[in-house]
Amino acid sequence: MLTCKEVLDSLSDYLDADLKEDLINEMKRHIGSCQDCRAEFDTLTMTIKLYKHEHDTPAVMPVGCHDRLVKVLELEKLRSKGGEPPKMV
Amino acid sequence: MPAATDEELVRKSKEDDERAFGELVSRYESKIYSLALRMVRNPEDAEDVLQDTFLRAYRGIKSFQGASTFSTWIYRITANSALMRLRKKQLPTVSIENADERETPVSIVDWTPGPVEQLLNKELQHEMDEAIEALPPEFRQVFVLRDVEEMSNAEVAEILDLSVAAVKSRLHRARIKVRNRLAGYFGDNAKPKRRAMGAH
Repeated sequence: MLTCKEVLDSLSDYLDADLKEDLINEMKRHIGSCQDCRAEFDTLTMTIKLYKHEHDTPAVMPVGCHDRLVKVLELEKLRSKGGEPPKMV
Repeated sequence: MPAATDEELVRKSKEDDERAFGELVSRYESKIYSLALRMVRNPEDAEDVLQDTFLRAYRGIKSFQGASTFSTWIYRITANSALMRLRKKQLPTVSIENADERETPVSIVDWTPGPVEQLLNKELQHEMDEAIEALPPEFRQVFVLRDVEEMSNAEVAEILDLSVAAVKSRLHRARIKVRNRLAGYFGDNAKPKRRAMGAH
């Protein structure tokens, strides 16, 4: 029978279903009968849900970001070909 | 005409085809910026990481052997660049060996009832952002790649050049740290339950 410490140590793997089936079943049984481990499991699950929910859309590049990147790469191309980068005015 | 694959664009880029490299930039710049922002959590630093990533990719494309996919390779460059920036900023540096201070809260507060939308207010978002920022950079990398970008343990291991076991260990510790911070936030509003470790 699993101890609470063993359950806590494997909680992330359990959450990711990254355990062998018999261990998953043991974890399920323990969490079902232990209020503290149930709270550990629920709060960890919700933490990940909250974080994913907050970040469910990719960040948008700021205006001008693409152009600045292109400029940096153009300067690098000039340098790599032995050319002089244009002078800043 | 079907779009060129990454492999084709890499091959052409190696032959100094500037348009092919430009296509790789267009294909990945948003993803790289988004990943960088989630790691460094600051738009200016994220843009620096984006530029640094593509500069390194441009300089290194000819020596890219194709042992991994281009996406894995470019994400690895991004993760390294972000890590260097975070380490530079984080003074004094928190080594991950010293970062495993109490990861299990003394009292467990069950704050989960209620839908995500109801819990996620501005204050909680701020608390969560602070919790992520407080993570040691090496933990944050794993947390972002696994739980936000939703990559597999194997993919994260390849990008960060770690073993899968190390990825799993860092992920677990990062999740617990973030959760504990949220538990502290909810602690005032919920009834704490005492945990007796090893009781079962």
